[in-house]
Amino acid sequence: MAAGLAHPLTYSVILDQQLGLHLPPHVYYMWLAMIILFTCGFILRGRLQLVPGGLQNLFETVIGGLEDFVVLNIGEEGRKVFPFLCAMFIFILVMNYIGLIPGCDAATANVNTNAAMAISVFVYYNYIGIKKWGFGYIKHFMGPVIFLAPLMLILETVSHLARPLSLTLRLFGNIRGEEIVLVLLFILAPVLGTLPMYFLFILGKTIQAFIFFMLTMIYLKGSLEHAH
Amino acid sequence: MFFFKRDKPSEAMVLFGNVATIGMQLVVATFIGLAMGYYLDEWLGTKPWMLIIFLLLGIITGFRDVYREAMRLQRGADEQSAGPSGPGSDGAKGGPGRQGK
Repeated sequence: MAAGLAHPLTYSVILDQQLGLHLPPHVYYMWLAMIILFTCGFILRGRLQLVPGGLQNLFETVIGGLEDFVVLNIGEEGRKVFPFLCAMFIFILVMNYIGLIPGCDAATANVNTNAAMAISVFVYYNYIGIKKWGFGYIKHFMGPVIFLAPLMLILETVSHLARPLSLTLRLFGNIRGEEIVLVLLFILAPVLGTLPMYFLFILGKTIQAFIFFMLTMIYLKGSLEHAH
Repeated sequence: MFFFKRDKPSEAMVLFGNVATIGMQLVVATFIGLAMGYYLDEWLGTKPWMLIIFLLLGIITGFRDVYREAMRLQRGADEQSAGPSGPGSDGAKGGPGRQGK
């Protein structure tokens, strides 16, 4: 639900009154996503089977497909960074989908959640680059021609700083927009108006999670491959 | 399913992802340049100059990023259209790989 529309009553508001913690709603919905994922993880770990069925099959399809995609794009080194990428994708996906449940809000509809994730992506790919190349990582920032290096250093700095910002704003704008549209359509035509939008938004939310994942992958690829 | 075809993220989703990133880069790089110039001005006390210089650098960066992204997409499309029809026959019938779009 979108904030600003005269305090919509979501589950987190009720929970917050009960607990008296005074935390913003997106924190509760992030915890909910974490609980869902941890539960899935523990259930699956307990009964892994050689012939997967049900939940294990679903997770194997998604994770296996993503791993192939990453290895295809980055190369064998991609397997090292894949856990981070996949965790990002599934976490964002679950948080996005929670927004579709009536009375719930997507945690990614708040700019703080996205900023936190985008900054961890920024720190992580730079850490990977420095770990692999050492001091030579600076060559990634200098461009191919040596006498243009000072200019390229500034340009690359701007470009790299723009990455977390664009990650944050893209995810925030899309998910928040979808939440607002859902609320507005619910006001206009309850239930009947929102139902068709659900199909569109399931698509939209999956694509947004995938874009975040794919951009993280491209940045990691940039810091792992040799400077041109 | 739409999202995963034969255990892989579907082509439509990858294409959608690539296209959706381009516009944002242009805007955000400009704003980062603007912000860097503004705070450098406050720090160094050179009122309008750093702002102007870094705004220009930001705009240049934005366009360069978009250009690089477009080149990357082009390369991907080339590989894709060369892939299924084989390396030898890309001259005569390079089209089939991209027909679906």
